Amino acid sequence: MAYLETRGLGRDFPGVTALNAVDLSIDLGRTHVLAGENGAGKSTLVKILTGTDRASRGDILINGRNPVDDPALYKNVAYVPQELNLFPQMSVAENLFMPFSRTGHGGLLVNRRALVDEARSYLERFGIEANPRELVANISVSDQQLLQIARACTNTDMKVLILDEPTSSLTRVEVDRVFRVIRSLLDRDHAIVFISHKMEEVFSIGDDYTVLRNGEKIENGRIADISEKDLIRAMSGRDIAFDEHFRPKGPPTDNIMNVRGLSGSRFQDVSFELRRGEILGFAGLVGAGRSEVMQTIFGFLKAKTGKVTIEGKPWKLNDTASSVHGGMLYLSEERKHHGIFPLLSLRENIGISILSLTKGYLGISGGREREAVQKIIDEYGIRTSGMGKRISQLSGGNQQKAIIGRAMATRPRILIFDEPTKGIDIRTKTEIYRIMKGLAEEGVGVILVSSELDELKKCASRIITMHHGRITGAFDTAETNNETLVGAIFGTEAKADAN
Amino acid sequence: MQTNPLTLLTRSPLAGVFVALAVIFILSALISPYFLTPYNLSVIARGLAFVGLITIAQSMLMVLGELDLSLGVIGGLCGVISGILMIRLGIEPYSAMLLAIMLGASLGLLNGLLITVLRLHSLVLTIGTAGIFGGVNLVLTRGVAITGIPKKVQYLGRGDFLGMPVPFVIMLIALAVATFVMLKTPFGRYMYAIGNNQAGARMLGIKVDKVRLLVFVVAGGIAGLAGVLMVARLGTAQPSIGDTWVLAPIAASVIGGVATTGGIGSPIGAIFGAGIIAIIENIIVLFGVSPYWQGIVSGAIVVLAISFDAISRRYLRRDA
Repeated sequence: MAYLETRGLGRDFPGVTALNAVDLSIDLGRTHVLAGENGAGKSTLVKILTGTDRASRGDILINGRNPVDDPALYKNVAYVPQELNLFPQMSVAENLFMPFSRTGHGGLLVNRRALVDEARSYLERFGIEANPRELVANISVSDQQLLQIARACTNTDMKVLILDEPTSSLTRVEVDRVFRVIRSLLDRDHAIVFISHKMEEVFSIGDDYTVLRNGEKIENGRIADISEKDLIRAMSGRDIAFDEHFRPKGPPTDNIMNVRGLSGSRFQDVSFELRRGEILGFAGLVGAGRSEVMQTIFGFLKAKTGKVTIEGKPWKLNDTASSVHGGMLYLSEERKHHGIFPLLSLRENIGISILSLTKGYLGISGGREREAVQKIIDEYGIRTSGMGKRISQLSGGNQQKAIIGRAMATRPRILIFDEPTKGIDIRTKTEIYRIMKGLAEEGVGVILVSSELDELKKCASRIITMHHGRITGAFDTAETNNETLVGAIFGTEAKADAN
Repeated sequence: MQTNPLTLLTRSPLAGVFVALAVIFILSALISPYFLTPYNLSVIARGLAFVGLITIAQSMLMVLGELDLSLGVIGGLCGVISGILMIRLGIEPYSAMLLAIMLGASLGLLNGLLITVLRLHSLVLTIGTAGIFGGVNLVLTRGVAITGIPKKVQYLGRGDFLGMPVPFVIMLIALAVATFVMLKTPFGRYMYAIGNNQAGARMLGIKVDKVRLLVFVVAGGIAGLAGVLMVARLGTAQPSIGDTWVLAPIAASVIGGVATTGGIGSPIGAIFGAGIIAIIENIIVLFGVSPYWQGIVSGAIVVLAISFDAISRRYLRRDA
């Protein structure tokens, strides 16, 4: 019998049915893939399974009993959110055992030595390389991701572990570390609920699957019995040609941007050029310095030395206002920290970039703003019950579409996308690729920073690789292969075949 | 729901504080026969004018995510300086008041420069500058009031205009301007954006430090205005002006839906909050509550008001 079950689960919010008649059945010792697009109802379902929200209809059974009658049962279900949720200024060991009373380290005083000693066995088991005394702020992103999983596992009652996009900021090698941890948990008779938009991972780690679409269960079964194509069709409700590529047509023409000898605090001597009509990809490991290079060109971070010229004219560094005014936009990987204004409405979040269109002698015209924002909502297919809704209540994919729509409305000359599809479902990904391609073909300079090689190969005309803050190669996408690219990403002496 | 003046009301906290203000007003009218007399209402309005000006200034800073604890002291110092300019230096009274207001703006500029250039925490910095400005006040006056403020400027503090106290009218004008700027202009949108997400605002090319600096300057100028109006009302430049303008405006703003963490709320809500506090203080006096007890009673009511607000908002909200 299934360890965790839901029967006819439904959840209504005023005006919206977020979940309807969802049956789910999760067995111990297996990985259950919860698949669905952004806004399909996965987050709502997870909230109900972990007890942070209540169902409007239907039942949950944990180990055959209803946790609504016995809330202690919720302790058997642990959840690791997609966004890092650690205490950066506390040590690895302290983070691991928070809150101390739950993990048996409570009492009047905290015994740091005992914490550190016990932490060591967890760190070893989860393959975390960091020192238990180190502050979390100073350890690598992949260690932080694993630490979040390890922290959930310090809960000794935990039987079901829900992982929401655990690999979205990890590279392939680091993903393998997470998978090893998942397999060892399965061996200990735990169940894993795995939420991911990366099909490759779903098919390599998944045993069972359930597909949600628009709050309803579409189908379920065994991963071994379904093809990638069919799973994607179940999620999106239509066929998506996922082997299609989105490289701009036609040869690139003149140079839009020249970067010469640019150095910042985490990268050195970066030189490259961006041509009109191409999408220029940047590949590398997390921490290779790609985002820092882009943020420095954009003026968000301070440049130490170096020169940037755009269309032949010197470009002012260290000032985001002049960059935006000059037609450059940077769309950050960190949607939450750099993109959205969480307490403001969708309308205000988009409206902030089109004020030149909406302002008049009597201030911002509400009518013109609503009209312009509605156009962007329609054009980019942002799903919302209204533009007055707080943007933080929208799903991640819809937030991303709002950010992209807002950027497009300013008619940029150069647009830098930093991991634009992180945590985004396949259909929306495809829409983003199409937007990038269209822009490049219109003559906008497009840079794509991505940790997914497949994505770069699908979209980029050329790929520049970075390792440890330096450029290690520049490749024509059509004429290179994975082996060469991976070599350059890992900093082995690959010979650049272009530039 | 969609028309523009009403977006004010759809910033949900405002509806709650407006209802609370109305309830307290009606209750006060029911329990005290003196409450609704024109004299009493004008006393409330006149008192509200001064705290209200500081509340407008403070709520603008709070929307940005900043706090300025020196605003009251700036008001006091500007009041005293206006007295010194008029009486000791014989400068034409209106010019003296204008100069004092400009001094307030300069002190705001000083705070703002230290905060934006050196990346200091506004709350901590202004504890320090409040000490300095207050000290200058005492050094200049030795704690003694400057008397003999000319009758012609006293109209600004004591007079009536359209049946309302002049300082109250000035406060309403300031409120209207602040509300227009914050809700209808790009500058105001930038303020909310910065209060929501400073890094995000910079990513959009908003000149974050320029906006912050300017709001500190405006806030200082408004504080200076409150100070000189108080001098005009009292007829003397008291060194103690502004002593009670520190915490009440912050409490009023929070009651009115402005978060101390920034990004949300409006000066209108904050003024409603200030109105609630003003009525409560008035009722305490009308009921002859012992002065020893007044602090406890008014403090307890503020605690009740924000608790009620927080609880009602939790039930109204439908966070998915």
